[in-house]
Amino acid sequence: MAVAGVHRPWFGATLKEWIFTTDHKKIGVMYGVTSLLFFLIAGISALGIRLELFQPGLQYMDEDTYNALLTTHGVLMQFWWAVGVWSSFGNFLLPLMIGARDVAFPRLNALSYWFFFSASVLAVLTLLPGNHIRMMWTGYPPISLNDNVGQVAYYAFIIHLLGASSLATAVNLVVTNLRMRAPGITLGKMNLFLHAFLAMNVIQILGVPALAGAVTMLLLDKYFHTAFFDPSRGGDPILYQNIFWFYSHPVVYVMVLPAFGVISEIVATFSRREIFGRKSMIAAIWGIAILGFMVWIHHMFTSGIPDWIKIIFSYTTVLIGVPTGIKIFNWVATLYKGSIRYTTPMLYILSAIFMFLIGGLTGIPLGLPAFDINVQDSHFVVGHFHYVLGMTVTLVAFGGFFYWFPKVTGRMYSEFWGKVALVLIMVGSNLFYFLQLIVGLEGMPRRYADYPPIPQWITLHELQTVGAFILAVGVGLAVLNLVLSAKFGPKAPDNPWESPSLEWLVPSPPPPHNFDKIPHMPEDWDPYNYEWLSKHKKV
Amino acid sequence: MRKSALLTLFTASCALAAPVAEPARYWYNMYYIWLVVAVAIYLIVVIPAIYFAVKYRYRKGNETAQHVQENHLLEILWTIVPVLIVIYLATQSFAFYRVQRNAPEGAFEIKVTGFMWGWQFQYPNGKQVIAFFNMMEDPQTKEYLPLDKIPDTAKAYIPAGVPIKVLLTSQDVIHSFYVHPAKVMEDAVPGRITHLWFQINQPGEYWVFCREYCGTKHSKMAAVLKVVPKEEFEKWYGGPLPIQGKQVSFNIQ
Repeated sequence: MAVAGVHRPWFGATLKEWIFTTDHKKIGVMYGVTSLLFFLIAGISALGIRLELFQPGLQYMDEDTYNALLTTHGVLMQFWWAVGVWSSFGNFLLPLMIGARDVAFPRLNALSYWFFFSASVLAVLTLLPGNHIRMMWTGYPPISLNDNVGQVAYYAFIIHLLGASSLATAVNLVVTNLRMRAPGITLGKMNLFLHAFLAMNVIQILGVPALAGAVTMLLLDKYFHTAFFDPSRGGDPILYQNIFWFYSHPVVYVMVLPAFGVISEIVATFSRREIFGRKSMIAAIWGIAILGFMVWIHHMFTSGIPDWIKIIFSYTTVLIGVPTGIKIFNWVATLYKGSIRYTTPMLYILSAIFMFLIGGLTGIPLGLPAFDINVQDSHFVVGHFHYVLGMTVTLVAFGGFFYWFPKVTGRMYSEFWGKVALVLIMVGSNLFYFLQLIVGLEGMPRRYADYPPIPQWITLHELQTVGAFILAVGVGLAVLNLVLSAKFGPKAPDNPWESPSLEWLVPSPPPPHNFDKIPHMPEDWDPYNYEWLSKHKKV
Repeated sequence: MRKSALLTLFTASCALAAPVAEPARYWYNMYYIWLVVAVAIYLIVVIPAIYFAVKYRYRKGNETAQHVQENHLLEILWTIVPVLIVIYLATQSFAFYRVQRNAPEGAFEIKVTGFMWGWQFQYPNGKQVIAFFNMMEDPQTKEYLPLDKIPDTAKAYIPAGVPIKVLLTSQDVIHSFYVHPAKVMEDAVPGRITHLWFQINQPGEYWVFCREYCGTKHSKMAAVLKVVPKEEFEKWYGGPLPIQGKQVSFNIQ
């Protein structure tokens, strides 16, 4: 399995090679850079939003600009960051972890990225004045059929490009995972990361067509005068919400399942022991994936749907907390009798687990109509999903960036600045999102550019804005750490974490074709068997 | 009739002061039940996690991890117990929600129509109040006015202590009618009629907000409920309240 030979590392490529590449590692890096860039754009628009909400009244922008910023923030954070960033991890790591030389369909993979890139260019153009889209990321009709909210056709085209990209990537990664595993890597033995990505990609394949259908029908309604959703022609706007949430609820598991996979890898590596309850972890992943398609009505508890259906969906919604809870319990149990190394990635991941617990526990009451009736469309909901997306997914993504950074670049990041950034992120985002929960309980509606001068609300908003800026400094430091270390960091060994997982057994950065010959993994090998490595120092 | 055993059991044990408005009490009950459960679960997970994190850190004498095989009893326990907890929560919510959702019999019915960007209140005798977004802001600075500075014409009069059933619809896009003190909301959907109920016991002025994004002036699409004692309401309304139990005929087109 030893990999020899002199290869030019992937990052020494020319521009032409980058553009025409079908190498999964280069594509993974391109996804990573694109999504990180959009994370920063979306983050800056969030700072604009927070600045405007610092005080009641409109100080810095008018309502239309605010609504456009909020739409930009929502769309970019979800599609480019929370979903897009996992394309980076999946592309770079999946073939390495299963001992393959590339994905199953490398050209399709390149096409996926360039679809994603085209959508990115179009999304950047919506930032120009005059191109603003102001219908929020949900694009509910009839407001989205209104001329005042921007170009629906443009939005639909962006979604279609992204959808095509996601579907192609999903098919590609599922086939790669199922058909191209090296001998010895069985389904039962493969990394939990791979199980999470498998389930996530299955959700994409089943769900993306629903979203594509919803925006297509919206497009037809607006420009071709069909009447799916337009109530003035006999359509039903609630129908859109059903189709939309049929995908857009499961998509939160597309965002969070890969994060679970990354958490499992990092917790195991730095506790130096196998994940506790590995089989139940896999069962929980699939439980979440399947149940995830049966809960979408909880987004519509106050939409005027029949009461009986709310009750059924309130049970399915809260039940999804059970497999999610099992995952958290297992991670905590993995720490038990471990030998825990507190590196930067491990600290990000532990923080993510504690924050995800808050995100999960504040999600439970949203599935209870008796509770939801007061907080639907309030800042409580916003706070809840920012604990899940803004903190859990982001902390895990950054933890993952740091963890695999030596593998991707061959260099080491700065532990000190990584930890400083984490402290700032934790202080800032908890100040921000916790008070968002509180102001939501007090009744503050979401998507408000302005709010009445209720004294508690003003104080809570001021503190949130302070938190948001602390968070921004933390994120800035973390990104700077990655960018500068890629150029100036000290050389990293091939396997700094001493992990037997297959991606660590190739040189850093991996050579163009990963493995000189396809590895045959022996019987006693396991990605979490940390003694195996010391027994087979030279493999 | 609407009180399940669970509900009675809980309301009896929960010594809450009567809230300003109904059915906010049920929201508070749900909230406190959830809060206790959530804080308990958080501590049950986080305290052992921190203990393990400190105790099993890498240090002299703990260079390698010890092997712990799966513990089936533990795993079954932390599957079954959460299942029971969430089923209890959903069932409790079901019991509360029936009260929050179904107006008491003989509630005073008003019709509310949302439009971009304001609310039209129609009373059974034809009296109307329109709250428009520009009544909510200062004409010069465009800042939100505090409750007491908003003109009385933009305020919907509501009798104190009387259950109000709101029939909701919309003229254009989806809005959502959120009665701040009563902690209830429901979408106003064009082409549909939806409903909610509330009752405000203490006279005063209260906010209603639009809770579904509806365009430019979404954040100014508020209304004010001016809750007054029954006699004062009758004076404003121009006649006695429709007799409870015998609802006035009031058809929605």
